[in-house]
Amino acid sequence: MTFFAPFTIPFIIGGAIMAAVLLAKYTLWAVRLPREDKRLIRRNILSFKSLAALWEVVRESLLHVRIFRVNPVLGYMHSSLALGWLLLIAVGWIETVAYLGLRWVPLQGHVFFKYFMPVNGITQHKAGFELAMDLLLAVVLSGVALAWIKRMRSRIMGLRRTTKHVLFDRIALSALWFVFPLRYLAESVTCAIYGGGSFLTGSTGSLLASHLDAETLAAVYEPLWWCYSIALGIFFSTMPFSRYMHIFTEIPLIFLRRYRLAPGIEPKSYDHFEVEACSRCGICIDPCQLQSVLGIDEVQSVYFLRDRRYNMLQLSVANNCLMCGRCQTKCPVGINLNTLRLNSRSRMRNIPNEGRFNYLSGIDRSSGEGRTGYFAGCMTMLTPRTLSAMDTIFRAAGDDIWHADRDGGVCCGRPLMLSGETTAARKMIEYNTDLFRRHGITRLVTSCPICLRVFREEYALDGIEVMHHSEYIRMMIAEGRLQMRRTDMRYTYHDPCELGRGCGIYDQPREVIAAVGELVEPAHNRRDALCCGASLANTVIDDSQQMRIAREMTGELEATGAGTIVTSCPLCYKTIKRAAGTETKDISEVVAENIFQP
Amino acid sequence: MKPKVVIAGGGAAGMAVALRLERLGVEPVIVEREERLGGKVRGWHKLFPTFTPAAEVLDPLVAQIGRRGIECRTGAAVEALSEHGVKLASGQTIEADAVVVATGFTLFDARRKEEYGYGIYDNVVTSADLERMMNEGAVRLADGSTPRRIALLHCVGSRDEKVCQRHCSKVCCITGVKQAIELKKMFPEADVFNFYMDIRMFGAGYEELYREAQQSYNIHFVRGRISEASPMINGRIQIKAEDTLTGRPLRMSIDMLVLLAGMRANDDNAALAASAGLALAPNGFMQSADPFLGAVRSPRRGIFYAGAVTAPKSLADTLAEASLTADAVMDYLNSVQR
Repeated sequence: MTFFAPFTIPFIIGGAIMAAVLLAKYTLWAVRLPREDKRLIRRNILSFKSLAALWEVVRESLLHVRIFRVNPVLGYMHSSLALGWLLLIAVGWIETVAYLGLRWVPLQGHVFFKYFMPVNGITQHKAGFELAMDLLLAVVLSGVALAWIKRMRSRIMGLRRTTKHVLFDRIALSALWFVFPLRYLAESVTCAIYGGGSFLTGSTGSLLASHLDAETLAAVYEPLWWCYSIALGIFFSTMPFSRYMHIFTEIPLIFLRRYRLAPGIEPKSYDHFEVEACSRCGICIDPCQLQSVLGIDEVQSVYFLRDRRYNMLQLSVANNCLMCGRCQTKCPVGINLNTLRLNSRSRMRNIPNEGRFNYLSGIDRSSGEGRTGYFAGCMTMLTPRTLSAMDTIFRAAGDDIWHADRDGGVCCGRPLMLSGETTAARKMIEYNTDLFRRHGITRLVTSCPICLRVFREEYALDGIEVMHHSEYIRMMIAEGRLQMRRTDMRYTYHDPCELGRGCGIYDQPREVIAAVGELVEPAHNRRDALCCGASLANTVIDDSQQMRIAREMTGELEATGAGTIVTSCPLCYKTIKRAAGTETKDISEVVAENIFQP
Repeated sequence: MKPKVVIAGGGAAGMAVALRLERLGVEPVIVEREERLGGKVRGWHKLFPTFTPAAEVLDPLVAQIGRRGIECRTGAAVEALSEHGVKLASGQTIEADAVVVATGFTLFDARRKEEYGYGIYDNVVTSADLERMMNEGAVRLADGSTPRRIALLHCVGSRDEKVCQRHCSKVCCITGVKQAIELKKMFPEADVFNFYMDIRMFGAGYEELYREAQQSYNIHFVRGRISEASPMINGRIQIKAEDTLTGRPLRMSIDMLVLLAGMRANDDNAALAASAGLALAPNGFMQSADPFLGAVRSPRRGIFYAGAVTAPKSLADTLAEASLTADAVMDYLNSVQR
């Protein structure tokens, strides 16, 4: 048997296009990887990391465990399509082997096995396989049904908003919607004519046979197989240009990520794997406060990645993001959404100006002597209550402090980095690193999470322990150098984005507050905490829009009934003070007021 | 029987309206939140641009209220109102034939601009604090010494989106000029600086005083807002600003920082407006029926406005407006009786 029929041509062409494009893309991206990334791959490819990646591929690309956690119905939809389809192919292959023994069968022979081997003429009909294949087809069809429902009534699927798609997506999506219903029809008609099939195709086949005459069945038989093949062909040929590129791209991405590859503040070839692994599921839309509070719905990560992928990214989209990271915690593919946005800004905005910071050379306005350095940060300079509270705390702890920026310092660089001015940010980073080294500090405390993040992520400060003041205070309490007086105050705590999702510091501030009074949590906290809206990262929304986001957030804090709102970021603090009627304090103030002095 | 009009607020506006209405044959009742009449002017020392003592304006008003036997409910706040009277916070109601809202403004709380250190460091004061100090007889630093260098900062809580106050408070520019001259008179050896965005000298005699401040008193004017103030080890204050005329950043150590705090809308405007179906302007002040022909009328017949409850106003403007309000009330009362 040749396993060839004219109707298989669309499928063969589509499959060939897909294979060629995928191969070209992946090869190009891999070749263009920077040298250090290639070195990471070489070092790790033959290690347990590859096994771990393989397991993750099963969990994420097939079972979609992370989507299940965010939204079980959506998880079922994805895994029924992915796992269901894979098993259809795998069981189909075994079926071929079971019928024909181990021999070479062309691809279309496996895919259209029912067409080529409709009857139990050669071998006996194997009811087990028929049942398994029908079961799998039913599972996939249920996934397709959910996809239809999601498109029409996304709320039923637990999504308030669903993604708006581009043309390629729509073509591929429509083809995908029809692939399995057409397969179901084609196989059912085959069963009606030749018999076989199980509870699904078999019983539909008998139903068709009892209602239609043999001529009609024979007339629709070939066209249905044609349609199925065409749907497959369209899907496969549009797939590498559409959102469905994620199906295969997530696999190399998982491996590369296990090998410690990651995007940086400047764009590089690795970014392609992350950008094209986005399935545009739209899970990132709902957590976005720009969407939920302000109704801005064309800037979210899904649209940012889409625009970047098709080279149509506008600065107004790239810049319209709080970089709060709420979407990133929900992304089922684990894409580094904020870093990718940062390096897009860098690509679009970074205009190096070598002479601009010449005045930095030779300046040193630092003061004091000590192994502990304190970098207040420019926002903290605007909130002097925090400054004086920190003075009290340092004195009470008996720590000698070297003040990096008390009389005016150089910016940490993160605000420049957030606006894409990477080269300028590097100048600040070099200056401050040199300053810290020159003064021989072993510990660096900052009151600003924005500074903390860039100190940890971009500065090379080996040998210097970088701490946020909430960490420092907690450590001083643990060491017994600060003793707290317990009060009957009720506090609530706002997690700053840069401190919480940015640096993973959730517990230390809470432990500090709990040492003074009772802590009550707002509805959204820790990884789910809301952004205050005043983020430096967003240069598009105006002050009144920032305040609308802020009031939404302070509403939750005030609903806790706490007497005082506590936060640990000068920017959040200023914003909450504007938006809330409740007394607001930085965590350092709460501590400084309640130091127990025997 | 005389028609009765309740006036919410016993400051300059409320008193002037009450006196005028009483003369026109109406029985006014003043409801004042504080224990004494006089409002914000009571805390003021001298008035711009003439350096007239505030008492010379306020005392005759208060005296006449007493002489005419006008009923005053002090220590009573208006909680809700309608064209038929007001409801007090105590639950008591006062019925009337018309209501005048003259509840004025609230002084911007300079602590909200934390970067200037008001309430945190010594020797950062507001313009209102300075008037109080002058009333008490002496302007001194916290340690009792006299200041040698003083900065006055304009637009604290005015024209500042970051504290949700977009409007101009109108009177601070000329107050800054007046206080700078007063300080210079007190401390002739001191350097006095005004840090400003614009100098808005629209009133009669204002521009002349501004010129005099520079020519006769050698007061320095720097165009640029102070970005932050921080305490120094020697007890002085270091300020950072940008001189936007020369385009250069500057830092300066000073002994005293005077913040020219702006006028903001009362917090209870919203509740009053809601109780009577009135409207608020976007800046939170009460919205008049019409900016030209109905500036003292509310959108609701029988409810009127006087003074700074509708927008920042100088004392002179407020007193002038009081007569307009009384006039509009009379028109209304006549039309209702007929």
